[in-house]
Amino acid sequence: MADLSTQNPCGVARRVAAALLRAGGGTTACLQMPPLQGDSSIAGQIGLDAPGFLSLPLAPVVFRKARVAMQDGQLPKYELLVSAQAVESAVTQQKLSSAQSLFTMASGVVVAGKLFLIEAISASASQGEPYLYRLLIQEACGEWPV
Amino acid sequence: MQNAKDTFYITLRNRLTAVNPARSMTLRSVSRPGILVADAEAPMPQPLLDVFSITWTGLAADLQLPAILAQMTCEIRYATAGTQANAGLDRGRALEEMDSEVFHLLYPYSAQKMNYTQNPAAAMETMVFWSEPEFGPIVTLRDRLSRTAKVTVFAFQEAGEQ
Repeated sequence: MADLSTQNPCGVARRVAAALLRAGGGTTACLQMPPLQGDSSIAGQIGLDAPGFLSLPLAPVVFRKARVAMQDGQLPKYELLVSAQAVESAVTQQKLSSAQSLFTMASGVVVAGKLFLIEAISASASQGEPYLYRLLIQEACGEWPV
Repeated sequence: MQNAKDTFYITLRNRLTAVNPARSMTLRSVSRPGILVADAEAPMPQPLLDVFSITWTGLAADLQLPAILAQMTCEIRYATAGTQANAGLDRGRALEEMDSEVFHLLYPYSAQKMNYTQNPAAAMETMVFWSEPEFGPIVTLRDRLSRTAKVTVFAFQEAGEQ
């Protein structure tokens, strides 16, 4: 049976999540996004041309280690908790249809000058509205500064 | 060897536009034929569906010939979950369509080697040629079907080529 009680989303969960992220050591992460005008040349498809990624800042986010590396050579994994307000703003700015599109388009995320690869994305929602995104990320092997 | 890899990819890409123009994708803000070189794109946690991904794995060289003959193993990976219109129940048919396209992409089994580091690309003196595809089994992951076709690509190292 359908729940017909009135529950108008008022965004309180989003504001609480953003406040908690700020209070919990919130910082800024930057998604690496493709340029608005892509490189359609052959050189751009075979790794000759620089991709010209753009940096799209997201804040507040909380960055934390997800688990300890258990084997030699295994890179540690981290979690990035991202405010849904920041994600919504980025989705609007990029004129995308969804947060999923945003994260799918991103080639990685830069936190404190280090590049991480996005492995999985999940969202927590209240009253049908996401208020927090959780990104499982892994350190990229390349040690170049970004 | 890089020229041979580039030639192989561009050949297959150009053939795909003729075999199935509808198989396209938007990657890094560019709409292009649905085939990519995995090591020339950003790492992806999940493979893109309904496109071909080229991965270079094995390498061997025959040094007994007047010019070095490089043998490179290429894996063409592809996956599908069917179409939304058919709620994914056509994923078997969609994979079969991609199997068929692999045959058409690879035939004929040779191409003129090109140097794409120059603009315009310059024809080189030898050909790149490759074997018939060796299809692996279908791998099922939830509603996704995927397969890998292996091809051995041969190319002579020309003078001055890296």
